[in-house]
Amino acid sequence: MPGNRTRKSWPPRRTAKPRPFRTTTATATLLALCAAATALTACSDTGESSSAGGNVVLRYTWWGNPDRAARTQEAVDLFQKKNPDIVVQTSFSGYDAYKQKLATQAAGGDAPDVMQLDYRMIDQYASGGVLLDLGKQQAVRTEEFDRGLLATGVVDGKQYAVPQARGTETVVYDTKAWESSGVEKPRKGWTWSDWADAMRALAERTGKPGATDPGQSEDAFEVWLRGQGKALYTKDRELGFTADDLTRWWTFTDKLRREGAVAPAEQTTQLDGTVENTPLGRGKSVSDFNWDAPSSGYVALVPTGVTLAPMPSGEDGTPGQYFKPSMFMGVAADSGHPEESAKLIDFMLNDREAAKILGATRGIPVNESIRTTLAPELKDFDKTVADYQASVDGTLNAPPQAPPSGDSALQTTFQRDYDQVSYERLSPREAAENYITEAKAELRS
Amino acid sequence: MTTTEIPAAARTGKPSTPPKRPGKRQREGAAWVFLSPWVLGAAVLTLLPMAVSLYLSFTDYDLFNPPQWVGLRNYTQMFTEDPRYWRSVVATLTYVVIAVPLQLGLALVVALALKSMRRGKGFYRSAFYAPSLLGASMSIALVWRAIFNDGGTVDNLLGTGGWVNKPGWALFTVALLTVWQFGAPMVIFLAGLQQIPTELYEAAAVDGASRWRQFLSITVPMLSPVIFFNLVLQTIQAFQVFTPAFAVSAGKGGPADSTLFYTLYLYDRGFVASHMGYASAMAWTLLLVIGAVTAVLFRTSRSWVFYASEGDR
Repeated sequence: MPGNRTRKSWPPRRTAKPRPFRTTTATATLLALCAAATALTACSDTGESSSAGGNVVLRYTWWGNPDRAARTQEAVDLFQKKNPDIVVQTSFSGYDAYKQKLATQAAGGDAPDVMQLDYRMIDQYASGGVLLDLGKQQAVRTEEFDRGLLATGVVDGKQYAVPQARGTETVVYDTKAWESSGVEKPRKGWTWSDWADAMRALAERTGKPGATDPGQSEDAFEVWLRGQGKALYTKDRELGFTADDLTRWWTFTDKLRREGAVAPAEQTTQLDGTVENTPLGRGKSVSDFNWDAPSSGYVALVPTGVTLAPMPSGEDGTPGQYFKPSMFMGVAADSGHPEESAKLIDFMLNDREAAKILGATRGIPVNESIRTTLAPELKDFDKTVADYQASVDGTLNAPPQAPPSGDSALQTTFQRDYDQVSYERLSPREAAENYITEAKAELRS
Repeated sequence: MTTTEIPAAARTGKPSTPPKRPGKRQREGAAWVFLSPWVLGAAVLTLLPMAVSLYLSFTDYDLFNPPQWVGLRNYTQMFTEDPRYWRSVVATLTYVVIAVPLQLGLALVVALALKSMRRGKGFYRSAFYAPSLLGASMSIALVWRAIFNDGGTVDNLLGTGGWVNKPGWALFTVALLTVWQFGAPMVIFLAGLQQIPTELYEAAAVDGASRWRQFLSITVPMLSPVIFFNLVLQTIQAFQVFTPAFAVSAGKGGPADSTLFYTLYLYDRGFVASHMGYASAMAWTLLLVIGAVTAVLFRTSRSWVFYASEGDR
């Protein structure tokens, strides 16, 4: 009953009378100034890279999986041992989160000293004045780099970023599951219809979808498109395909999804750029499309082992996959320590011991002499990646030019528009038309 | 009389007038001096960014290059050319309509239960309040996602699959996370309940009124200012929901845009697509809408909020 109200009410009532104001204005001023000063100094620490105990502190950020984290840390430790006056603070996350965080930091003038960059970021970051011209940094040696790959980091004649490695897309599959299913294994030159048949057969015999639904992936779409002699973007940085092309792709993948040959929408929507959240990584499908180096992440997740196979080609045998500079390193234009940052980049790219530690975790190194000396020494999954690259080397077409700035946002748009298809809220045609409208707006601005 | 003071005191916390007054000018000067850190902070950290944001809302700004003046284009694009914008509006309104009444209802029920409780009050008060302290954090939202994901606890117990991956269920799952954090309105309800004079209930009991009758005829009217206060506060908060949806949908507002709340889409436009001008335009539209909704709530409150002091007159 509400009748039992205690005297101790809560929250406690104010009982003491407020004291009369006796302080003089002078004292008040002093107190207020002290308060203001404390508040101001408390905010003044911007977390910028600075000297700590006489050491130079560099911030180095990158995206990747735990395997890459362990090896990167080991290489960074070695760098610190060789350069006792430099302290490197590393941080990493999955690609999607990394992309957002870096853009925010860059816009706020707080970009990390050394950052890992994607092909799709170079144009935007370089033209936005975020990156330092590495051509002027003597410490970064690029003599042993493949000229063509090195040029992918050049914008308006300046070397804003240096490629770290090259990579190519792959069909990565659960070796045991695929082999024991008896379905014919992927072979060089297989077409998209061969692939679709294999997915159907896998789903039927293993009871699991054959692959992640590739409809959400702009990368997979690009391979499919290139297999027909088309491209994502024209040379004038406009869309290289039409709503009809995209409708055909989404109709193709949507049909496979309805048949259960590829993973259901509930799985697709969880993709966030980490291998842990892919159906293959979660043990819910037999294969996946990914870039070759990050596929190392599956090794820890698929106990029966994974194998890399070439991507499907167009129906007439035109290959869609290509070698791409897998990632770049760049330095912030407003870094307080450009020389030390350049030193770190040079170490990560050109130091032999570092190369041995890093292996192929970011792809096969672009430094040619390191690549040649490293190749026989590669172990485990690094060797898998190297062998895979060797197997397709010479059969692929030239890479497209770097995607225009707007593409970075369009990757996400692509995935979201396909969500509408896989959850059966829009037809492939409607979603494709939405995407074309959004893409045109994105590329115009 | 006492009932009127609760929300007012909660908002301003004004002390009563001191007995001996120094000169007016002297008092004002001292007041300004003491206020100066706050005034400075408000100007530099709130008003200035707001002004910049208003300016940006009329520009095309990609974070990297200087803003380009585009007039009202962001606003017209928002209302006429962007289907995803409208999906975010629908998702947000649905969320507000589901989450706010559920949360306030639960807060009131628990507050009533706690009020009549004799022992362990302090413990239960803290226990129910704790989720509100923890709930705003990213980690709890991530745990929530794990619980409701496929292969998560709920899936294992009920075998219904992952709730967060079903477009029809995901929004409800996010709302549930908010409802669970009913601690703050509950504490305010509790304070309000304890200010209702016991005599009213005693008199009603003597007249033979049932507990339900007492609730409807005494508790609700006497508590209406507090209900109103909570309603306004929680509605404004619900419009700005961000963290739970961000974590539960891995920042995408999925599945199929079903949890693409307004602020999430705003964040996406600003920080993923680098359209700060568009994001600013969205922010200002949100401000106006929240202002309008609050105004409507205040208008309707005249007919259902009962202030004891008015009754006295």
